[in-house]
Formats: sequence, structure tokens, C-alpha cells
Amino acid sequence: MPRTRREFVRDLGVSAAAMPFVLNLPSLGFANQQKRKQRIIFIFSPNGTVPKAFWPSEEGAKFTLKEILSPLEPFKDQVLTLHGVSDRIRGDGDGHMRGIGCLLTGIELYPGNVQGGSDTPAGWAKGISIDQEIRNVLQKDPATKTRFGSLEFGVMVPDRADTWTRWSYSGANKPITPIDDPYQMFNKLYGRAKDREALASVLDELGEDLKRVGGAVSAADKKLLDEHATFVREMEKELKEAKAAVGHPVPALEPGVRRDNDNIPKITKAQIDLLVNGFAADFNRVASLQFTNSVGMARMKWLGVNEGHHELSHEPDSNEKAQEKLIKINKWFCEQIAYLTKRLAETPEPGGNGNLLDNTLIVWTNELGQGNSHTMDNIPFVLIGGGLDFKMGRSLKYKKAPHNRLLLSLAHGFGHHIEQFGNPSYCAAGPLSNLV
Amino acid sequence: MNLLPRLTITAFLLLVPTAAIRADEITGEQLYKQHCVRCHGATGEGTKKAPAPLLGDKSVPQLATVIDHTMPEDDPDKLDATESKKVALYIADAFYSPAAQARIKPPRIELSRLTVKQYRNSIADIVASYRGSPKLDDRQGLRGQYFNSRGFDGNKRLIDRIDPDVQFDFRRHPPEADQELKQRFDPHQFSIRWEGSVLAPETGLYEFVVHTDHALRLWVNDNRTALIDAWVKSGSGTEFRGSVYLLAGRAYPIKLEFSKAKQGVDDSKKMSILPPKPASIALLWKRPHRVDEVIPARHLSPVNMPEVCVVEAPFPPDDRSLGWERGTAVTREWEAATTDGAIEAANYVISRLPELAGAADGAKDRDSKLKEFCRKFTERAFRRSLSDDEKRFYIDRQFEGAEPNMAVKRVVLLTLKSPRFLYPDSPGLSAEQAIAARLAIALWDSLPDTELLAAANAGKLSNPEELTRQATRMLANPRAQAKLREFLLTWLKVDQNPDLSKDAEKFPGFDPALAADLRTSLELFLDEMVSGPNADLRQLLLADDLYVNTRLANFYGITLPADTPVHTAKVFGLAIPLEVGFTKVAFEPERRAGVLTHPYILSALAYNAESSPIHRGVFTARGLLGVTIRPPQEAFTPLPAELHPNLTTRDRVTLQTKPMACAGCHTVMNPLGFALENFDAVGRYREKENSKPIDASGRYETRAGEVAQFASGRELAKFLATSPEVHAAFTERLFQHYAKQPVMAYGIDRPERLLKSFSENGYNIRRLVVDAAVIAALKPPN
Repeated sequence: MPRTRREFVRDLGVSAAAMPFVLNLPSLGFANQQKRKQRIIFIFSPNGTVPKAFWPSEEGAKFTLKEILSPLEPFKDQVLTLHGVSDRIRGDGDGHMRGIGCLLTGIELYPGNVQGGSDTPAGWAKGISIDQEIRNVLQKDPATKTRFGSLEFGVMVPDRADTWTRWSYSGANKPITPIDDPYQMFNKLYGRAKDREALASVLDELGEDLKRVGGAVSAADKKLLDEHATFVREMEKELKEAKAAVGHPVPALEPGVRRDNDNIPKITKAQIDLLVNGFAADFNRVASLQFTNSVGMARMKWLGVNEGHHELSHEPDSNEKAQEKLIKINKWFCEQIAYLTKRLAETPEPGGNGNLLDNTLIVWTNELGQGNSHTMDNIPFVLIGGGLDFKMGRSLKYKKAPHNRLLLSLAHGFGHHIEQFGNPSYCAAGPLSNLV
Repeated sequence: MNLLPRLTITAFLLLVPTAAIRADEITGEQLYKQHCVRCHGATGEGTKKAPAPLLGDKSVPQLATVIDHTMPEDDPDKLDATESKKVALYIADAFYSPAAQARIKPPRIELSRLTVKQYRNSIADIVASYRGSPKLDDRQGLRGQYFNSRGFDGNKRLIDRIDPDVQFDFRRHPPEADQELKQRFDPHQFSIRWEGSVLAPETGLYEFVVHTDHALRLWVNDNRTALIDAWVKSGSGTEFRGSVYLLAGRAYPIKLEFSKAKQGVDDSKKMSILPPKPASIALLWKRPHRVDEVIPARHLSPVNMPEVCVVEAPFPPDDRSLGWERGTAVTREWEAATTDGAIEAANYVISRLPELAGAADGAKDRDSKLKEFCRKFTERAFRRSLSDDEKRFYIDRQFEGAEPNMAVKRVVLLTLKSPRFLYPDSPGLSAEQAIAARLAIALWDSLPDTELLAAANAGKLSNPEELTRQATRMLANPRAQAKLREFLLTWLKVDQNPDLSKDAEKFPGFDPALAADLRTSLELFLDEMVSGPNADLRQLLLADDLYVNTRLANFYGITLPADTPVHTAKVFGLAIPLEVGFTKVAFEPERRAGVLTHPYILSALAYNAESSPIHRGVFTARGLLGVTIRPPQEAFTPLPAELHPNLTTRDRVTLQTKPMACAGCHTVMNPLGFALENFDAVGRYREKENSKPIDASGRYETRAGEVAQFASGRELAKFLATSPEVHAAFTERLFQHYAKQPVMAYGIDRPERLLKSFSENGYNIRRLVVDAAVIAALKPPN
């Protein structure tokens, strides 16, 4: 998009002053070493879960992870399951639209023209989402400001912008498009460095070219070319200095992974690797990862499931084969989260103590409690990691607690003590009790 | 100050007799040494006492008059008329006149880098050369396809037509069409796709604006990513905006999709009983320095054009100190900007590589196709073909050890940073190729096209007839026309878009929208004047026509002919100016003539409540007659009109510019400006000011020493239209605008020769452009 290109280029001046920013040099990237770097990741998977294979039966610190959550076993003491948190937002839009659109915003959708199979049509959410709210808080403070603030990842998000495909909002009516192409994300993170690398690699030829042309013009005109050559040499010097100070290794991506259903596992891995890398480089402290969309239609053939996820999710509880497949699907999502958890746990906190997981909270959630009933009660909320100092390693159960209260808890976890988020009528009771 | 007149008289009595005795023998040079050197220096270079060097364009008679009246400063009567004339002749020939200056310090054609405009246009044309170039035809407006569904189902298309512009209020009805067709639409939901191209009249940032109460998507010069995506109708917003940078004289693909659908009702049950929602849509733009307006049909074409690669990296502005943009200096900022521009272009190319290079990702012959793509890229940028050695240097070497995209990126960066691209007339071109390069720079601010290069490579361009034929062909291109308009606006000193805000109490209705209309009116006039076969400069100064729309007609009290197409605001409930229709009328032909009395020019050359004879005089003298007028020695605030309620503007100006220090220049410019005093600060005709009758008499002493007198703006315009000084100044400005080099660098007699052929060609501006471009292209040996 032209505008983005212009902004991009404007940021890219060759001046030495811009360099640390462009290359995320330690001078800025790790500006603040004293304060703990808190991070949060929101992960969306669609179509509800299979409650009987998801929610631990017990309440409290002694609990057993059921089939779907079993991949998290190695990190059980870092896991917090929140049963009984409900999305109470109603209004325009069908269940899936409201499910995803109100999930992080906690507020209704505008009336609009997006028509589902039933219910009234609707537009975008009426408010900012919690990930962006937290991002803004962090970006406002120089001590927690990072190059991007937040990064929005996706995996096979359909190439259309509508209420079913967006969950992160920078404000009312302002949905954010997730980047579901790892190469595009790579360019966003490292494109500038690549540009400079390319530029640096042609400087010898350029110098030679200038010399040749300068030698072929009159003495009077040569002065102009000499000046020109001086500026080119200065640029070369700046590039060399910048190169000597590059912060961290640029990750390598498997080349040529096409964006299609069967590549979902590969795309997911690439996105998770980039996400962890971004945190390690302190490009951002907020991230989201959106698997497909609400009503997502992934066909997990690699699990032996050939039906689309959404159509399966409509099958009644009595269809045991379908339930088995849904458990497989949801377990696969959990495996990806376990991989992310593992990567975070393995990565030492740069310039700090412990590892990235100690300072990161993963929030895994879904637009529905259960696919066949379209209920928004018992939205699957699973938290992992030590980022917000919640007391982890527990199974908690609430009674129809509005999910706005959880959103408030997340803000408070970043020291952002707001009293309301989203629709105020669901905020009266304040943050969820018993988290910390 | 009080003593001065008396002292002068005393000096006169004492000195006149001696001077008279020697008047016959003494030469101008001796007189100069005797009376002038102490202040002006031996070669007129100036001293501390009179620092300004003695250079200028006054004729010998004019110079003689000034010397006689004002010099030496301490005793203006020391030299009589004959002596003053001798001094005038001497200094004019020795150093004062432009010709003398050119002799002393011959102007040189300097090596120039691309100007910012040239840089952007050249890159656009390199990339464009890989794409098709469909020709625009005479049709205006956009193709509109109307579908009886909220999507664009091909089998539900009911209408396929050309809409001149997009401003529709459907209310609760289906789209306007004949009855039978109309009935086939479901008024609850239908969709429309408008597509074609949009023509940018000037370079800059354009805002595209869509007003609608339903879903829309708009693409401008990017067929992949929408500039505005409001396909999800959400909430009550009805105005959507997006900005895009466009280059003048080019057409850009545009596509607008509109979809009406049900909103906020439970369709499954109640739809059938609810009336359809209202629907409206309008496609507007905000041109640089303008206000929102519906995009007029003349800027729209139903022809689908390919995307244009527009580099938006910000550049420092070019040096305009000599009156034209030139690239004879490089700065660190400029060099850095060329890096940003090259990176931007490289990323654009990479992102569209399969389309541009015809090499699909993973195709077997991809590498060889990419190399071929790169070779063409560099050859086009360098305006010539590459030798085998050069091909190895610029292309093959960049592919060594690099993955293909990186290799292409390197080639693009190396090419666009190379002096062979950045200096359009750099060594390495054959004589013929250099002619082609210079001709394209002059006429298009860009690269030669295929046809011109082919003519160069066939050795045809050293033939002046063929060169003229090529220049004539190239002048017909919309880019050349945009450049010609840009020159005329520069000549009229309005290229920088003067602020036209006016006193709201005194001139109710003169708002930014009206000011924008006036600008459009002026540009329509200029376009018409230079697009015809005559393109006569004199007609530009004499024609009676004014383009007006109803808003202008109402403000200036013009009665439009009954058959004028009326464009009223068609879109329901939108508080925006929607009107686009301009029509040509003869406007006060007995009082006005040509551009000088165009209300835009008169308003620009005025204060916000009062006219300004000084601004108008300076413009006429400096801008049209080519008289050098130095800025005043200090800044003055005009005498406020309210402090002198009994004086007319003319009286106030006369009062303020009476002192000796002012009179030297103001005696030239004031009387020119006074002739336009019948026009107030918004260019409306008036006979009285402060209930006093207007005195619009004026005069001008020509370089030939004659005094021209005029009693009105129309008479002034008539004088200017036939003035050789105006013709000469126009010729010189135009040449320098196109060649971007001083005219005398092409021969000291070049101005004279150019003027002669201009007059022989009936003052045809288009012929003059061709002449200028050909001269610039042939370039005398340095």
C-alpha cells in the first residue's frame, strides 16, 4: 500500500541517528535492564472446544489435565484453567461474529452489513481490544516502548476482512489485519536490515561507476561528481558502522512454504519461531496469534481428519466419531501452544534472569464454549506462564463470570488499573477474584 | 532630508557650466570613472556604499533616464541627458546588459542530475516499460456495471454503461434506468462496480473520498490492496478517506465497488415487510491545495490503465533560485533520498516480480528471465544498451552467490544509484542517444520512449526535421501537456498555489471551495488556449472567455445561458460541494481580457480585503514584461485602508511609495498596477472605491523609449499582448523552464533568434516548446 511504503521509507533515512532503530541495536533494544519485561500473547483457535475432554474435573492446585490439554503436562505448574468465564455480550451479529469480535473487546458490534446464516447482520466491534489497550500503555512509557509494541500473527486467516476474521482492534471500527504469511512478517521484522545488506553489497561497484563517470566529464563538471562520490562514501561508512553493531541473528525461514491448508503445521511453526524471536529481540511485548478465523474451516488431514473444522463442530455430542475428531483437532492446537511454551521456556531472558516464559503470559481462548450449542458460557480460557504474577498451576472455576472481568485482570496485571473495559455493565465486580 | 532640495539647487548652480564645456569630447567611460566608480566600482561590481552590482535588463534609453534623474545620488543634476546617455551606453555595453554579462562570463551548460520530478517520472517509466500502455480515448467517466445482487455475480449484471461521474442518490429505489430494467432490481440489495482510470493533473498527494451509507471498496493505483476497505459496513460513518501520491499527466487504475445490503434487521423473518434502506454514493477527491470535489468526468476514463510505480520517498526540493528547477547541485540529503528512492523502487519491483519479469516463482527459466529483466531495467535507466563488459558489471556480478530476489534488488539499487541514471546527460551515450535523452528530459522530465530510442539508434535524430517530428509527437502526450500547464502556472507565478482566503465580511461566499473553482477555471482556460492549433500567446492575454460553474456565476453575477447543464448536488444529505460542471462564457468583454483579468489572478494579486496595485504591477512588470525589479531595501507594511478612509487604494499606494528610495522601481510598477484598479480584491469589477471614482489610468515606458498609456485593464492587456518585451520574456522563461539551463549558454544571440521564430510562427506556444526542446536536445558543444 503506497501509504505504508511512504512511511516505511521515511523511517528509513540513512542517517546514523536512525540506525539503532532500524537495526534494533542493543542501545535501544535493551534500553531498560532494571525493570522486568512483562509480555503477553493471545492465541485464538475457533469453533468451541469439547468440554468433557478439556476442563479438569477438579478445582484447585491438584488437578489432572484431560486429553486436549495433555500436551501441556510438562508445564502443568505454569498452567491456569478458568472454567465458568462467560462472554455475556449480546447485540447485533451471529454467535461466531460476536464470539470473535467481542472476545478481546468486551463490547458489542455495530449494526452493519455482514450477514451470517442467522441473526441480524453486524459490523465491527465498538471498542479497542485488550491486547491493543495493553500495547498502548506499554508504548506510552519510554521504559517499556518497543519498535512495534505489538505484532499480530495469523495462520491461514481467510483473505477477506469481515467480522469473523478479526479479533484485534486498535479502536472502535478499527480492526487490525493479522499477518498470516511468515515471509511478510519476516519482512516487517527484518526487511530494513535486508535492504541495507543489499545496498552494502553493491557499494564497491557504485564507487567504481562514479569514478569512471567522473573521469569522463569536464573538469568543471567533475566537481559535482566528486561531491556526489563523497556522500556515497559517507553512506558506506555509516553502513559499515551499523553492521558492526547488529544486535542478534536474523532467523532463517524454510523457503517456499505456500499459504495453503496442508501447510498449516509448517506455517504455524514459522510464525511461532518468529514470535519468540521478536520477543527475544524486544521488538514487541504484546503479540497475538490467530488460527484461521471464527467458523474456521481448517481440514487437518495430517491428523487423519478430512472434514472441515467448523462443520464437525456442529455435530451433536452423540456423534462420537465427530467428538473424537474434534478432540484431535483441539489437542493439535494445544500441541502448538505447548511448542510455543517450550520455545519460550528454552529462551533465556536477554539481559535478565530466567527465561522468556517466566515473564510472559499466554492466553489461549476461543469464540465459543462449545461448537454445537454456540454457547458463550465457559469460554475456553487457558493461561500459561509467569508474565502477570498470577498464581499458576491451578484449575479455577467461576459461575458465569463476565469475561470483561478477566480482561480487566490482564490490564491490572500490567499495572494498568482501569475500572472498566468494554461494556461497563459487566465490569462492576472488578477483576476476577483469586487469580493472584 | 529637509536640506536636500536646497543643496541640490546650489550644486547645480556651481557645477553646470564646467560640465557643459566638456560634454562633447568626454566619453561615457570617462564619465563613469569620474562620477560613478566610487560607489559602483570599476566594472559595476558594487562597493560598500552601493553593494548591488550594476546588472539588469533596462534598455539604454531607460538607463539613461534613470541616470539623468537619479545619478549621482548626491547630485542628480550633475549629468545632463546627453552625458547620462553616454554613461548608459558605456555601462550597458561594458557590463550592465545581459549580453555583456554573457560575454564577460559565458554561461555554461552545467552537468545536471535529475530533478525530483525527473527522478520520479524516470522510475515510473522504467517500470511502465514492462507493462502494456493502452491508449486513452476521448471517452470520459468510468465504466459502471450494476448487479442485481450484493456480490458481483456475473449472471446478475443488468447494466453496463459509462457514468460521467459517481454521485448517486438512489434513496430507497433501484439504480436509475429505464422502467423495465429498473423493475428487475431488488431495491434491498444491489451492487455496482465502477472502473477505469483517473488522470492526475498535477503531482502531489491526492485524497480520495467516498461518501456512502453502504459498503464500499476503493482501489487507486494498486490493484491488490484497497486504498479504502469499508466492505464491512459498521456503525453510522458515511465518509471514508485514503491518500495516494500521484505524478502529473498520467492515468492510474481506479476501481470502486459499492454494495447495498440489509443492515440491522433480522432478514430471515421481517425483511419482506420492511421498506428498503436508503442508499447513496459519491466518489470525490481532494487535489493538492484544493477542497473535496466530486471527481469530474474530464479526469476519468473508462479505459483500464496499468499501475504506475510512484516513488514517494521524500526529497529535498530542487534549487529554484534562477526561476526554474535545476539539478546542478548535490547535497547529502539529496544523496540520501536517492538511496531511499532506490530501495523503495527495488521493493516495489520485487513485490511484483512475477508480473514484471514474466517469471513465476519456481519456474525453470526463472533465473534467465530475471537476468533479462535486469538487463532491460538497467538499459532503460541508462537510456542506452549495455556492452558485454557492462552487462557483466551491472547484471551478472549481482547474481553471483545471491538468491534471485536479492540479485534483482542489487541490480535495481546499483542502477538507480548509478550516475549513469542520475545524470541524464552523462558520458557513455552516443551523440544520438544523448539527443534522445535530452529531448525526453525537456518534454517529459523523463526517459526516452521506445520510439525515440529507436530513432536515435537508427541515427535519425541529427536530422533536425526528424527531431522536430519526434518533439511534436511527444508534445501530444498528456504528460507534456501537464508540463506545459505547469510552465504557464509558473509564468503566472501561481504554481505555488497562493493563499486565496478573503475577508469573509467583505466578500461573503468567497470560501475555499470558490477559490478552488477559480483555480479550475484558470486551468481550463490555459488548457484550452494551448491545446488548440494556434496556441497563440496573444490570445492568452486577450481572450474574452471565462470558465464558470454555477457557484462562480452566482458570485460574479454572471447569467448563464439557459442551456447550461446544471449540476446540482445529487447526493442526499451530504454537506459537500458536489458540483462539477464548468461552462465557457464571455465575461465582461468590454472590461476584461485574458489571464491578467482572470479573477483568480486578480485575487491572488491582492490583499484579503483590498486590491494591491503593487503586487499587480510587480507581476506585470517582472512576470510579464521581464523587468528586473529588486525587492525593497526593507520590508514595508501597506498603509492600512481603515486609517485613510478618504483615500482610494491608488492614493494610499502613491502616498506610501513617494520617497526617493522607493520611486526608482515604483514609478515603473505602480502605474501598471493602477490600470487594474477597477478590479477589487476578488477580481470583481468596480467603478468606485470609498464612493470615489476609480482612476485606472496607467503608463509604461518601454525599453525602446516610448511611453505607452492605458486607461483600463483591458487596454493594459492589449498593450501587453503586442509588446515585444512580453514576447521576449515569455520566450526566455519558457526555454529555461524546459532546458533547465540559462538560454545564453546556447549562444548569446539565442534569445533573439528564439524570439524571431516565435513571432514568425504566430506566437504559437506549442511550436515554441518544440523549438526549445529541440535546441536543448541538440546542445551546442561546451
